[in-house]
Amino acid sequence: MKTFLKELIDIKNWKKKTKITGIVVLGLFALCVILALMKPSEADMKAQASEEMQELLKKDETGTRKRVTVTYNSLIIINYCSFSSSGANALSEKYVGFAGHIFRADEGAGKFTGQMVNYTYRMLGSGENILHGAKLTLFLTTLSMVIGVAFGTVLALGKISKNKVISKICSSYIFFFRGTPLMIQLFVVYYTLPAVFGFAWRDLFSAGDEQAVYKGAFIAALIAYGLNSGAYCAEIVRAAIQSIEKGQHEAAKALGLSYGQTMKLIILPQSVRRMVPPVCNEFVMMLKDASLVFAISLMDITTISKNIMTSEISYNVFLPALVIYLVITAFFTWIFDAIEKKFSLYE
Amino acid sequence: MKTVKKIAALLGAAALSISLLAGCGKKAEEKVETAKSNIDLSGIKFISDGVLSVGCEVGYPPFEDFAEDGKTAIGYDIDIITEVARRLGLKVNIINTAWDGIFAGIDNNYDVVCSACTITPERKESMLFSDPYISNYQAVILKKGNNKKITSFKDLNGMTVAVQKETTSDELLSDYKSTGTISLEIVANEKVLSCFTQLDNGEVDAVCVDSTVADGYLAKNGDKYIYAYKDETEPEFFGIVMGLNNTALQKAVNEVLAEMEKDGFIKETLDYWFGL
Repeated sequence: MKTFLKELIDIKNWKKKTKITGIVVLGLFALCVILALMKPSEADMKAQASEEMQELLKKDETGTRKRVTVTYNSLIIINYCSFSSSGANALSEKYVGFAGHIFRADEGAGKFTGQMVNYTYRMLGSGENILHGAKLTLFLTTLSMVIGVAFGTVLALGKISKNKVISKICSSYIFFFRGTPLMIQLFVVYYTLPAVFGFAWRDLFSAGDEQAVYKGAFIAALIAYGLNSGAYCAEIVRAAIQSIEKGQHEAAKALGLSYGQTMKLIILPQSVRRMVPPVCNEFVMMLKDASLVFAISLMDITTISKNIMTSEISYNVFLPALVIYLVITAFFTWIFDAIEKKFSLYE
Repeated sequence: MKTVKKIAALLGAAALSISLLAGCGKKAEEKVETAKSNIDLSGIKFISDGVLSVGCEVGYPPFEDFAEDGKTAIGYDIDIITEVARRLGLKVNIINTAWDGIFAGIDNNYDVVCSACTITPERKESMLFSDPYISNYQAVILKKGNNKKITSFKDLNGMTVAVQKETTSDELLSDYKSTGTISLEIVANEKVLSCFTQLDNGEVDAVCVDSTVADGYLAKNGDKYIYAYKDETEPEFFGIVMGLNNTALQKAVNEVLAEMEKDGFIKETLDYWFGL
């Protein structure tokens, strides 16, 4: 880390490629800051409503039913505001704010831009808690992979253990969780377990909490995903361990190391490098499998985009969805590459 | 299958007429004046005190849908259940859930389900329904410019028709097909939107769908589709669903629905959402 920082400060000796990248990144950052500062304010955007809309909004204040939904989405450099009434004769007005100007966004390029901002904002789960959209996908995938790798290592060591009972238990566990679909495992954890043991996932949280149902569902999902990815990771870890030459085991034994010491000090550190690419693979698969949580009431990126598709009658929604998935995947591939490099010292 | 549907229709019709009668009676008139105090909620246990938790598959416009902000649930069902809760003196909490397993969550995750649920005899064995709050028919939609006259489902002979999977439309047309009454290709989709997109793209010749859903679509896309046929001989009814032991809540909800029918709330809401 220290050497990395030292190299970072020493701008004069940067490689040419790094210099160019640095300039581009800084330039983009400065542009974003300028655009973000020039962006029209929330109050200005909300003041755009036409007289007709203002009247409807006024009516809502006294009525028992709300008829107009005011949407305000802000994405760093651009913001979007819309007023839409519901029902068979719905009215809607849309505005996009960018670089100090407010544009109507009811048709053409403006409409498309507005849609993109609104869809991206919703899919990222901005303005909501951690159980929505991209935040949910990231949180669930990362946590279940952490559980999966830790649990998978234990299972893998169990499976190659010389103790037959432990080995059989671990093998059957892996067989079961790799042999059944994740969706059904999710259903079993969320529906069957509470029915059999007489509890409710929601009861883990207070009854007055309106989000309790979703939080309960998230815990259930995390357990199901963790158990499932544990089984897959176990096989990855086992393959990595067994790919280390037998000679190393023998050498360690000759030096008088115990089995535990051999694993901890010699075998596992070397097998990490061989584990990284398949674990990254598993991570990316998990990222996309996270969309199965729609079955237990949670809204991830895929579910939100399907929802938008039905309510807006628009297929444009898949554009930002693809981009968001690609950005997430690119980021994690980069991290896994770095880890792989760090552990490749000896190969 | 068809007789089952007829029995369901008769039962529904009976329930509707009873609710209407109740609404016309003198007793009900007194109830309107002292609405909130008269309905006794003391024997009912709610999942969260003072809140009516409602299970709903938000994503079936115009019954339930998210507004553009992605959070506010709007739609006919939402209006109805919010007003029911308001008149019972409760707050409402809409819990978005998947359609599969929605009824399993009653009394666990929410008190009632209000999500365009058709009242059927099979369902009545395992859950309680309120009186119906909307009636629905099967409808056939064609692309604008297609002048084919359709006066009964038999006129669909030789056509390719899109339906939403596992809905009454699906069952109905499959009956026609399996009995050999007419020969047609049925394309079953997961979403209603897919049916209409297939019609747009010329993949199918017609869409068979709930008339209520068709009303909602045509109100917004009247320039693209035409309403070719509505089968008014076999109505079906939607009700609010409660757990089998929750008769006290069923009674309270029915009283409120009758009241809403009487003072025109239901009619006004129907007008608003379906432009009837």
